Amino acid sequence: VTGQLPLVSIVDDDVSVRESLPDLLRQLGYAAEAFPSAEAFLASDRADDTRCLLLDLTMPGMSGPALQEELTRRRQGIPIVYITASDDATVRARLIARGAVDCLFKPFSEATLLEALDLALRTPPA
Amino acid sequence: VAGERTLELIIDTVPAMVWSAEPDGSADFFNQHYLGYVGRAWDQMNGQGWTAAVHPDDLAGLGAAWARIMASGAPGEAEARLRRHDGAYRWFLFRTSPLRDAGGSITKWYGVNTDIEDRKRVEVELQRAYDSFADAQRLSQTGNFTADIAVDEHIWSEELYRIFEIDPSTTITVQAVRDVIHPDDLAAFDADFARSLGGIDFDQVFRIVPPSGTVKHVHAVGHLIERVAGRPLFIGAIQDVTARVVAEEALDRSRSELAHVARATTLSALTASIAHELNQPLSGIVTNASTCLRMLDGEPPDIDGARETARRTLRDGDRAATVITTLRDLFRRKAFALEALDLNDATREVLSLSSADLQRQRIVVHTELAPDLPIIAGDRGQLQQVVQNLVRNAVDAMAAIDDRPRNLSILTEREDDDRVRLSVRDAGEGVDPEAVDRLFGAFFTTKAAGMGIGLFVSRSIIERHGGRLWVEPNDDGPGTTFSFSIPRTAAPVGDAIATPRSS
Repeated sequence: VTGQLPLVSIVDDDVSVRESLPDLLRQLGYAAEAFPSAEAFLASDRADDTRCLLLDLTMPGMSGPALQEELTRRRQGIPIVYITASDDATVRARLIARGAVDCLFKPFSEATLLEALDLALRTPPA
Repeated sequence: VAGERTLELIIDTVPAMVWSAEPDGSADFFNQHYLGYVGRAWDQMNGQGWTAAVHPDDLAGLGAAWARIMASGAPGEAEARLRRHDGAYRWFLFRTSPLRDAGGSITKWYGVNTDIEDRKRVEVELQRAYDSFADAQRLSQTGNFTADIAVDEHIWSEELYRIFEIDPSTTITVQAVRDVIHPDDLAAFDADFARSLGGIDFDQVFRIVPPSGTVKHVHAVGHLIERVAGRPLFIGAIQDVTARVVAEEALDRSRSELAHVARATTLSALTASIAHELNQPLSGIVTNASTCLRMLDGEPPDIDGARETARRTLRDGDRAATVITTLRDLFRRKAFALEALDLNDATREVLSLSSADLQRQRIVVHTELAPDLPIIAGDRGQLQQVVQNLVRNAVDAMAAIDDRPRNLSILTEREDDDRVRLSVRDAGEGVDPEAVDRLFGAFFTTKAAGMGIGLFVSRSIIERHGGRLWVEPNDDGPGTTFSFSIPRTAAPVGDAIATPRSS
């Protein structure tokens, strides 16, 4: 059954996010899977199935933008919605300019999340 | 005859060693002085016998010289050591001239040996002294010079030629030296050199560009002496301090980079990380609450799931509380220490600590510190941090200025009766949000009211002193002036805890 639902992958080093977000996404009608690092996501085979990536901006090891670059290099154009705990409009503008669908500041509401996911799933793969 | 007898007496008595030899070089006469000196009888010295008294090491050289002189038929001389009767050797100068007959043939060689031991010893001492002097110059990379200013004549030590990479046969002139000096340092050199001719000692580090093209830093000291009236001599020494200067520059650079990092990790960086730390669990709480509601609203409601998300919400709440506790501990240690202080003094201290940096950046510092500035109550360390931030910003603002002097003015003044004001004025391009981004972006992306972190911290410190900090463009030229004004008796805001405040 899960195979039919669009898969949203979460890459975030914060355990609170990894614990909470997949359940909410499932409640919202998506399949969800969480990864603690960019490296773990790349090592999994989920990139091909992922319809949207909820990606933390700063993480130890490979950062969000570095993962985005790597995915572009691998020609895996997954729509990306950044999630960050640092509220910085300049950074948000820059990320969107570089191809991100959106950048949400933690904590974000369910409505904000849904809006971004909607937009992401309507975005044709790059 | 009596005349011959007298002559014989004279020859035997003169305090010199007199001898003669046949045209083939075999000796046939030694005066008494000679025989007495070496302690030998005539028949021991006769022919080649005298050579037994010559120092074995000098014999070959003396023999060769003697053969050369005889072959040339001209007067000549040579040096060798002779053994005295008591076995001690001393240096002698052997001089000889030929006697010729009417036909021009040599009939006899006459000679005199003179004791040159003392001169020889002085020569050796001198050579040894010179060698060690040259060694010392070489080792310390120091050359010395004497300059006869009136006629532009210069005597340079070997090492000085080596430092300047000039061939020792070159005639040195003041102009030749100026040609090697780095163009950027020439004006300062000329100014100090002119002053030194007025009697003020020369002491300057400047750069030279020798023929190899590798820039060297040299430290020159010199002063004027006047041994002959109206004929001033300039004497001095020049040391190649390139290695030291390069090392110092590297040290300064790392020091100022360190300060830069330290500044970036102050209050506002802390504020941002507080927000970051709190937003993480908050995000969990909000998400969990949404999930929980959805689970309860389900048909049928997912009670177990809701219970689990509620539990996670509690855990995230605990995480947030832990962040707050940690921060409270952190702040408690950062007390606000008021003391009586002289803002002029505190400012001078900052400037002296930054002087190497300012010099390296070719900043021209002007200070106008009001002598009647009242003593204020403030946190010395924190106010100095503010001054340093403002100075640093001014320096950064002028980093790209090359077409005008990098003037930095620091002004303190009494404001009304109960406030003091400090202003830092630069000659940069003016306040440009883009430039502020560049200044601080490398360390942190968060800006407070479009100002850099250092300014944000500075403003919060000034506000805690009951004062205010502001910026205005210079009205009479390019650049910006940052000023703060604080009351003499600081009225610390709130509970004297380093709380970041937005204005």
